[in-house]
Amino acid sequence: MLCANNILAKEINIYSHRQPFLINPFLEAFTNETGIKTNVVYSKTGLAERLQAEGENSPADVILTVDIARLYVYKDKDLLASIESKKLEKNIPQHLRSPDNTWFGLSKRSRVIVVSKDSNALESIKRIEDLSDPQWKGKICSRPGSHVYNRALMASIIAANGEAKAEEWANGLVSNLARRPQGNDRAQVKAIYEGQCEIGIINNYYFGKLKFSDDPKQREWTKNLKLIFPNQEEGDRGSHVNISGGGVVKFSKNKKEAIALLEFLTNKKAQNLYGEINFEYPVNPEISPTKELSSWGTFREDNLQIIKIAELAPLAQKIIDRVGW
Amino acid sequence: MLSNWNTWSSIVALIALMIIAPVVAIFYSAFLGDTSLWPHLFSTVLPRYTYNTIVLMFGVGCLSLVFGVTTAWIVTRYNFPFKLILEWALLLPAAVPAYIIAYTYTDIFEYAGPVQGMLRDLFGWKTSQDYWFPEVRSMGGAILVMSSVLYPYIYLLTRASFLTVPVSFYQTSSIYGRNTFYYVALPLARPGIIAGLALVLMETISDFGTVDYFALETLTLGVFNVWMGMNSLSGASQISSVLFIFIVVLLTVEYLARRRQRFHEKSSGQDTVQSEEISNFKKIVCLIVCLIPILLGFIIPTFVLLNFVLSGFSIINFTEILEIAFSSIAIAAVSALVVMIISLLMIVVANYKSNSIQRILIFLASCGYAFPGTILAVGIVVFVGWLNDLIYFHLSYFVGGFIILIFAYTTRFLAVGNGAINSGILRIHPNLFDASRIMGISFFQSIRKVILPLVYANLLAGGILVFVDILKELPITLLLRPFNFETLATYVYQYASDELLEESSFAALIIIIVGLGPVIFLSNTIKNITNKKQS
Repeated sequence: MLCANNILAKEINIYSHRQPFLINPFLEAFTNETGIKTNVVYSKTGLAERLQAEGENSPADVILTVDIARLYVYKDKDLLASIESKKLEKNIPQHLRSPDNTWFGLSKRSRVIVVSKDSNALESIKRIEDLSDPQWKGKICSRPGSHVYNRALMASIIAANGEAKAEEWANGLVSNLARRPQGNDRAQVKAIYEGQCEIGIINNYYFGKLKFSDDPKQREWTKNLKLIFPNQEEGDRGSHVNISGGGVVKFSKNKKEAIALLEFLTNKKAQNLYGEINFEYPVNPEISPTKELSSWGTFREDNLQIIKIAELAPLAQKIIDRVGW
Repeated sequence: MLSNWNTWSSIVALIALMIIAPVVAIFYSAFLGDTSLWPHLFSTVLPRYTYNTIVLMFGVGCLSLVFGVTTAWIVTRYNFPFKLILEWALLLPAAVPAYIIAYTYTDIFEYAGPVQGMLRDLFGWKTSQDYWFPEVRSMGGAILVMSSVLYPYIYLLTRASFLTVPVSFYQTSSIYGRNTFYYVALPLARPGIIAGLALVLMETISDFGTVDYFALETLTLGVFNVWMGMNSLSGASQISSVLFIFIVVLLTVEYLARRRQRFHEKSSGQDTVQSEEISNFKKIVCLIVCLIPILLGFIIPTFVLLNFVLSGFSIINFTEILEIAFSSIAIAAVSALVVMIISLLMIVVANYKSNSIQRILIFLASCGYAFPGTILAVGIVVFVGWLNDLIYFHLSYFVGGFIILIFAYTTRFLAVGNGAINSGILRIHPNLFDASRIMGISFFQSIRKVILPLVYANLLAGGILVFVDILKELPITLLLRPFNFETLATYVYQYASDELLEESSFAALIIIIVGLGPVIFLSNTIKNITNKKQS
């Protein structure tokens, strides 16, 4: 006899801001465990607008994205369902999910400072704020400020120090740059290796991707590199983190299965996968980071309500425009 | 009755209206939305974005003209070694997407790349402080890489014009001792040159991949910063409306140039130009001039990709990529066909039977080409949403998804089709078409029997440019495709955006190879047509 509760739909549809090659291993594991097939559209931009225009006719059940600001866009446009799941509440710390249960953080990434081994910055830089010190003039490399990771970092600094101080910091940082902001985080590591600068700001997982790259050249870049988790001293706020996350679409026809996917992504197996595949930290406090991640050092994170980062993003962008980062 | 003229021009106007609708949707959100960002944008980034956009357009325009017009003239006019190969090889860079060429050039010319490495070994330099080397991620770098893949638009349309100039014109100028190039060829080819230039400039404005990778703050990059950074689609649309001013200026210049240059070949079947024998020294010069753009736009990037394919052999999923190649070709071919049919109808109506409102609609239907792809895609999403609320289509998501995608490609690439057909149709005297109509032959039959044979080469040229463009198209495909549908471009992008060039190299190479076939075929067909005329 079939029990109604156990009949799950055969398929769910996902709008993803994450590349297929990153999420496919998770989805395969999910399908193996539950028998639910997954279909994906991947795009970096515009999926929220597509979902909004499709309205009730949308085929989408789940959205998956990186960066809190993008999650917030979905919430802001009222595209996500408020769902009830004890599992999600238990697996995700309160500051990494929305108060109204519309979006959920699924993994963490830390924005860290990297310095070349021989640089005296290794000893002197303790806080992200130190990067605006004039002694690092011509020594820092960065991707453009408008990139979502830098914008989020900027927002975290506004949250900690206020708008005026944050702008002063950004001005100082820009005048310390060794070259016009360009490239992605990988490119900053490369620039340090090449001697164009000594200090860079990157997301922690890029370090892992380069260290274990298929390309021997890229593995070489990380050999002389050290990570600094900023703002770790007694009484300081901790290192800025961002999340990858997801939510269930408001008009989803397969909510139960959609929730099952989110729950799956916070369980032990998937949380470990985040570390193994992409060097990201688990959100689930019961799971410890992978061995490799732990070997880079432990750190205390900034426990700011992550939604603050999204709320401050427009202001952060304005400052970035003004200082020309 | 459908063959009635007015019915046809109304239908075409309606199609034009549909194609403009996504752009209207963008403006709608620009001016009904939040306008509080304007003062901030105006006082901080907008002047910088506009300045950079103008410099980029000017640079790419000039360099593409130099590449496109000189090579078109040389291969038409002179005999030199390898000319038969160069004739079609000059089109090869058209198959290379600008975002791929940007990656490959950075790889070669940056500090860790082979060129600087070799220089360091050669001269014993140790660090970047010891010598000066031009920064590839710069305005100059962007102008060079974009010109070297965009010039084929100018080359193709200019060469078609040069080939069809009656030989008597050249002879006349020779008799009077005038320079054939400046006094005959160039003025007569102007509609073709300007049509090509307009396409190049519109591609330049809408480019996102290269400017993003080189971190050049153009209006298009600005659109994204505002959209993503300020979470303001209306702010982004407002910047797009600045872009729109550029586009209208471009389209108007193109239109005026055509009008002033309108001329008709009354007697067909005249002999066309024969190539000239030249001295050995000049032969070498010709060869070098033609080789430079091919080297820059095709040989170097392909070589780099090949290198990546070889070094990444073990991590490339070949079977998956070949399956994706098949679906890419299918969608591009179907869409190119749709685009060319609509273009043909539109241009015939615009030229022979339309009132001024219809002409303006047709004129504006080209502007989708110059909008940043993602913004246009959002406009389409919004427009289709409205339409769906109005009339609920009972289509599956799968079928509906493809229809939307083809519609999107049409709004995007109609300008390419229109440009190509226009430059052909302007040579046909309106009397021909009128005569056919007076004899009671229907609209369709007149197109088939009179127009089609005369613009066959242009139709083919346009169709193939559109096909290759769709094959390379990224942002619209990315956003509007149905579930689990990959094209070569989207496949390349998911890796390349993370600078995983080896994983993406084989798919990128396939985009180029698939583009090659039609490009070579096109070049031969154009030649055959001119040969037939001569015999």
